[in-house]
Parts: sequence; structure tokens; C-alpha cells
Amino acid sequence: MVVLSISFLIFSNPSIMLSTMIDASSSALKLAIELCAVYVVWLGILELVEESGLSQKLAKLLHPLIKWLFKIDDEETEKMIALNMSANMLGLGNAATPMGISAMKRLDDGSGVASHAIIMLIVLNATSIQLLPSTIIGLRASAGSVSPADIILPTLISTICTCVVGVTLVKIFGRLRQKLNTRQKYKQEKSGGKR
Amino acid sequence: MSAYILPVIFISLFCYSKYKKINTYQTFVKGAKKAIPLAIDILPYIATIMIAVALLRVSGITILLAKFFSPLFTLLGIPSDLIELVLLRPFTGSGSFALLNDVLLKYGADSYISRCACVILGCSETIFYVTAVYTSQTKVKRLLYAIPVALISAVVGSVVACLICKVI
Repeated sequence: MVVLSISFLIFSNPSIMLSTMIDASSSALKLAIELCAVYVVWLGILELVEESGLSQKLAKLLHPLIKWLFKIDDEETEKMIALNMSANMLGLGNAATPMGISAMKRLDDGSGVASHAIIMLIVLNATSIQLLPSTIIGLRASAGSVSPADIILPTLISTICTCVVGVTLVKIFGRLRQKLNTRQKYKQEKSGGKR
Repeated sequence: MSAYILPVIFISLFCYSKYKKINTYQTFVKGAKKAIPLAIDILPYIATIMIAVALLRVSGITILLAKFFSPLFTLLGIPSDLIELVLLRPFTGSGSFALLNDVLLKYGADSYISRCACVILGCSETIFYVTAVYTSQTKVKRLLYAIPVALISAVVGSVVACLICKVI
């Protein structure tokens, strides 16, 4: 992708390549600093939620859902996922990130291949349900909309659609993968038996 | 209304922590400390993605892609003026918000196209960015079907968004 872009630039405008790259990385640095500030607040809050035992309660509340989605049985991970999902639903994507990352770390088995739970977590975060698109409403208001908030309902409907499609697909693929795995195991056992 | 949600949650959290006899100050600091290494760890990942996206845009490839995909998008009922937005959305949050602002100013905030754009942005996420950041701390190399599934859902969401905007 990058090679293609650069080779295009050679024909159109070779002088701006380096400056574009540096501009982009400096805005990434700016973003990282902003994110750092956001994380300071949210990780501080998160620590409080953890210590006070609230996260455990939240995890218990979401336990059936998480169990059905992720098929895991680890209290600590469940807690992180519960917090990640709640933050996402409140529209706090950046606050959800640190919890999502720590859930990820706990789900990682070191094999290098994404497990069902890891894929589910990625897809859930990539299609997260947004209850209140506040930034977009703000943009519409400043662009002179008569009723900037009338996109809430359509957004809610489509965001639920996206999420349902994502979860369903992950479930279907997960099932297929399981079948493939058992078939492979069966074959291996069979060939092992012949020897 | 929604502006009150967070303050109320925070106040109840602080009160609850006090009730549980936790040292709020030290606990907060303990958590906040983790923010700095986390931000440093994810910086290379965001930087790489942002560089790739910036190159993609200035090289004009996105416009070519938009032309290439336009028949498919008309088939799905997505207005052709929104193709660049749909294509860039999985990569960059700030970039797609800048594009949305252009659309809003060009077509007027209450037009059909603008409302579509808003709903599409609202129902989707920066898929590649999220994936890169979330996997940055793990050893996972092969993501299997994670990204295709997320992309398919995003397209379905966009189609639904355009349909709903026609009805409502």
C-alpha cells in the first residue's frame, strides 16, 4: 500500500513525500500525547472502579452476555471486558482502549494466532454500539443544522445492525473453525492409528 | 441531559470509594501512572497507520479507488459523494471527521447526503486503528477473519444508514 502510494507520488508530486510522512507522524505524536492525557484520567478512574469492587459487580451483571460472546471463564478478563464494553456504549472509545488492551493481554495465549475471544473483542470494538454520537451532533450544529440531534435514532438503528452482523459473523466463523479443528484432529488420530 | 451522566457517575464513584474506605488520591495516581507507558507503546502503531493514510491521500489513490468502486456503491445505495468517506473511515478518525465537515459545508447540514454521512460515521469505527492498537501489546500475528468481518459489518451498517436516512 505504502509502496504503491509512493510510486504514484513519483509521477505526480515527488517533493511532498517526506513532508507528508513527517506531518503525519507529528500528528500521530500529538494524538498520542492527547491520548496520554485521556488515559491518565480514565486509568485513574479505572483503578478506583477496580479497588472499590465495582468492576466485579459490573462483570457479574454482564456475565451471561460475556460468557455467551467470548466463551471464557476467567474472572479478571471478564471484568476488563465488562468495563471495555460499558465504556464503548457510553461513547467513550478512548476510555475503552486501555481496558480493552489489558483484556487482550490476558486473552493472548502466545501462539501468534488470534483465538475466538480475541477476534470477538476486536470486532466488538470495531463495530461498537454508540448510544450518543456527540462529536457528530456538535459538527452538525456548527454547520448550521436546524435539528442537529435528529440523527440519533438512525445512528442507533444502524449501529445496532453493524454490531449484530459482526457478532453473528464471528459466531458463524468460530463454529466453522471449531468444526475444521475437530476434523483435523480426527484425521490425525486416524492416520496415527494406521501406523 | 447527557452532559450530566458522567459527572453523576464520577461523583457516585468517589463517594462509593470513600464508603469502601479506599484512599482515592493514591488509587487514582496508581492508575494514572500506567497511562504514560501505554501512550508510548501505542505511538509507533498509530504513527505508522497515519503515515500510510496520509500517503494514500496525497498520492490521489483514494480518488482513483473512489472512481473504481462507484458502481458497486451505487448498487448498494450509497451516494457516490460519500465513497471517499466510507473508504477512509476504517483507517482514520480525525481524517474522516475532516471529510464529514467538508460534506456538511458543501451540501448543507440538513441535506440527505449530509445526514447519510453523519449516520455512517456514527455507526462505524476506525477498524484498522482499533485493531492495531488493541493487538499492539500481544503476540498475535494472524488475525484470521477479524478484519474482514469488521469491514463487512461496516458496509452493512453504511447501507442500512443510507436506507434509513431515506425513510426517516
